[in-house]
Amino acid sequence: MTEEATLTAAVPTPAHITESVFYDFDMFYDPAYLADPHKRIQDLLENAPPVFWTPRNGGHWMLVSHTANFEAARDTETFSSEVIPHAQIEAILSQLPADSPPIPRAYPINLDPPLHAKYRQPIQGVFSPKAINKLKESIRKLAGELLDEIVDKGACEFMSAVAQPLPVKVFLKLLGLPVEKFQTYSALVKAHLTATSGDAGEAIGRLQEVANAMRDTILARRDDPRDDLISLLWTIEIDGQPATQQDIENYGVLMFIAGLDTVMQGMGHGVRHLAMNPGLQDELRADPSLISDATEELLRRYTFTVPPRRLNRDIVFEGVQMKKDDRAMLFLPGADLDPNEFPDSNRFELNRGGKPHIAFNAGPHRCLGSHLARVELNILYEEVLARLPKFHLDPERPVKFSGGHIIGVQELYLAWDK
Amino acid sequence: MKIRIDKANCVGNARCWAVSESLFPLDDDGYILIEEADVPPGMEAQARRGARACPERVITIIEDDAH
Ligand code: HEM
Ligand code: SF4
Repeated sequence: MTEEATLTAAVPTPAHITESVFYDFDMFYDPAYLADPHKRIQDLLENAPPVFWTPRNGGHWMLVSHTANFEAARDTETFSSEVIPHAQIEAILSQLPADSPPIPRAYPINLDPPLHAKYRQPIQGVFSPKAINKLKESIRKLAGELLDEIVDKGACEFMSAVAQPLPVKVFLKLLGLPVEKFQTYSALVKAHLTATSGDAGEAIGRLQEVANAMRDTILARRDDPRDDLISLLWTIEIDGQPATQQDIENYGVLMFIAGLDTVMQGMGHGVRHLAMNPGLQDELRADPSLISDATEELLRRYTFTVPPRRLNRDIVFEGVQMKKDDRAMLFLPGADLDPNEFPDSNRFELNRGGKPHIAFNAGPHRCLGSHLARVELNILYEEVLARLPKFHLDPERPVKFSGGHIIGVQELYLAWDK
Repeated sequence: MKIRIDKANCVGNARCWAVSESLFPLDDDGYILIEEADVPPGMEAQARRGARACPERVITIIEDDAH
């Protein structure tokens, strides 16, 4: 990972970008952002236009205000999730030789309505709150085991000790993959997280490895179903047709890219906040029933995903001229810190009157795994507070962050009295 | 008091249900089951909280005096 991050090159400014909407911000390498991401976001809310265009990373819009994000997320006709149009991808794939290995497609995250619903609807029930609640006890057990390993040490690097392995273990459990695949998937998560080249061929290769590692289990469950998600996927229909092996591999890959590093970073941001706020730890230890409110407020205060979109048409959006094929980022971390939506937005407040955040986005693509994510985060905080004594950041080893589509916590050194 | 829901725009994330399972029943896929319902006496505050919790803002509360 680069220590002294250099900015990506600035591209020339297109003619429709006026000075009043231009703001130079590199969402991958801005130094202040990498030093303390959510502090820099507050600065953007105060000093940058609510919708601006930056010349970095090839040039793109940044939707910062809550209104802009909420509106764009629900206007899928203008703000397309097909960053490369679906028809174009199909055309390229159809040129490949018939015997080349299948290329995984993470449907429905990269599809627009109406095709989007065709791939989302069949798996909606699999992630419903009722289905996910059944996993609670096994998640608690996995969290407890990881924490037991560190509690006597008095210190840990939390990301590698807990935040990274836990979601991988839950993923194996959920899909019904053998525990022996833990090392394989941990390595794949690491490769996915540290990939910097943006090379499409390499990205496809990684997703093929994700699919390869689950193929045996997928085939085994077809003939001998068990109580797991892969078995369940063999029973669903997509648009009236039984799901194929390729469909199931695609869903497995979707869960890998959407459900692992997201939960991991959520845990990182949340536990960092707890480490910096011993008073909050006391309050939650004294009354654990407050932890679910804390989970919500931590998601709001440290919203960390930035989904990309492509403009499907010319539009004047929030008073700003945008052109077809411009790229736009739903900067959800800005939306949830917007003081117009959340008064005194920097303050962590356990009860904001039930006002919902959009850390899981809004509109048709709203996170399908949000119940699972909430359950994982909630249980993790409960077990951390129950098993560890009062913990704090290691003052010698500052927290390291990364930017991009997910604001990541790379290293989080904690310490406590044994 | 009544609850009215713009069901077509429900994205099935059950924040309403998390507030009250009886006022906001879900189907097996996690989408809201009802389009309109009367709020039983005593449940008004729950109904308001459930409506506020919907990230999609598709739940409206109709106060009795609005008719
Ligand atoms: C704290 C953790 C998580 C956060 C913050 C998060 C956030 C998000 C966001 C913002 C989106 C919308 C993307 C877009 O609009 O383009 C999304 C979509 C999605 N998420 Fe999550 N996610 C989390 C955990 C999970 C988990 C655990 C799973 C499941 C294993 C999951 C599965 C999905 C899927 C399948 C989609 C695509 C939905 C669609 O396109 O219709 N997520 N997530
Ligand atoms: S909170 Fe809103 S979007 Fe979610 S299930 Fe209830 S009505 Fe639907």
